[in-house]
Amino acid sequence: MKRTSRSAKTGLQLMARRPGPRHFYGHGIPGVDPAKLAGKLIVVEGADGSGRSTQIARLVQWLEGVGHATVQVGLSRSTLVSEELDQAKNGNILSRTTLSLFYATDFADQLENLILPALKSGFMVLADRYIYTLMVRDLVRGMDEAWLKNLYGMALVPDAVFYLNVSPEELVQRNFSKNHVLDFWESGMDLGLSRDLFDSFLQYQGLVGKQFQRLQSTYGFEMVDAHRPVEEINMELQKKISALIKKI
Amino acid sequence: MKTFAELNFPGRLIAVEGLDGSGKSTQIYLLKRWLELQGLKVFFSEWNSSSLVKAATSKGKKRELLSPTTFSLIHATDFADRYERQLVPLLRAGYIVLCDRYIFTAFARDTVRGCPPEWVRGIYNFAALPDLTFFFKANLEVSLQRILDGRPQLKYFEAGMDLRLSTDPYESFRIFQGRILEQYLAMSTEFKFHLMNANHAVESQQSIVRDLVRSKINLNDFQGQNPARV
Repeated sequence: MKRTSRSAKTGLQLMARRPGPRHFYGHGIPGVDPAKLAGKLIVVEGADGSGRSTQIARLVQWLEGVGHATVQVGLSRSTLVSEELDQAKNGNILSRTTLSLFYATDFADQLENLILPALKSGFMVLADRYIYTLMVRDLVRGMDEAWLKNLYGMALVPDAVFYLNVSPEELVQRNFSKNHVLDFWESGMDLGLSRDLFDSFLQYQGLVGKQFQRLQSTYGFEMVDAHRPVEEINMELQKKISALIKKI
Repeated sequence: MKTFAELNFPGRLIAVEGLDGSGKSTQIYLLKRWLELQGLKVFFSEWNSSSLVKAATSKGKKRELLSPTTFSLIHATDFADRYERQLVPLLRAGYIVLCDRYIFTAFARDTVRGCPPEWVRGIYNFAALPDLTFFFKANLEVSLQRILDGRPQLKYFEAGMDLRLSTDPYESFRIFQGRILEQYLAMSTEFKFHLMNANHAVESQQSIVRDLVRSKINLNDFQGQNPARV
């Protein structure tokens, strides 16, 4: 059960997005045949303030406009555990493996009850964050990468992953112009990087960005420069998604 | 995977495993009383009992929302919460920790439900192995009868109804428990289970348990500060 660094490396290669038929990252979900999932799974990743929800809202408009049925999913929205997850986050009472598994439960519930059925019916599924955010958050907190990869071997490999890249300094400005407050978790305050919220936010987002860059080659994210105007970014996403849809 | 002793923890963990109705809970309760009455530092932990996770688990069970994957993950979450917040700190503080079910319950149940065994084992590989594991092996019919006599209403997941083995809950329960037993027995050697004949009298089983605990663990190392509670 204990993995050597060699086998972890092989695991890493297995995780890479391969062209060709649809597949899971690992063992997948018992009883689900990925070949029967006709729709497309499009993931938008990025920090709070990177413009994920704005971009997804526009993509939905556009996709529905051209006649595609869409479904939107996101993290901590499951019927099963989202309430309890919020409670746990507010109290900051769960240790890291527990919180990690709680998020994984939430993800699995949505994967099985929303994402997979929608894809089966030929929908365009737009995911506001996916397993990568969950993995990165845990990696920054020192969790074992091989353990995370086994855990998220249940996840389906998306058709496209766009990472909206924004510098930590710009994220601060965007968060302030929206809420005038920095979020405890988005600032990584549980890590004790700094007692100063502002300082912790910058350090934490820097660490998160680094982990995303590192995972980029493994998972083949499309890095999107999200400092540009909303419209320009959306046109780029539409172009890439159009190419993807034509392949059906 | 290593045991707590091999990892140089001052504490020791003893786990009991077995089917529902095998009498394991009675045995671990008697073991706990024996240790407590000697004034030793003892802590008892039950499967599926972390307060926060329990709310989600019972909702999932009541509303039949759980799939094999989420069933597995939510129990792993519960276990991780108890493991990180209770078991590990107590074991670091030199307690004897008694667990009514440990990771082997998940290995057996989740595999029967169709989760890939390597995936399940991988998820639980943050946990160290018990220093002593008792497996209470009763005749399947005896275990079934004990449960069925006491509680005629079988719960949905308990009876393995989600596996669609049979539309009759009693029949489903029988098949489900039979498969779990097979899984337990298949890992018995790998994880060094001490097989207990659960068809024997409570007293004779308990005396075997106590003898084994005494021979494997130096109980003098676990004297507590407080006088024995009676």
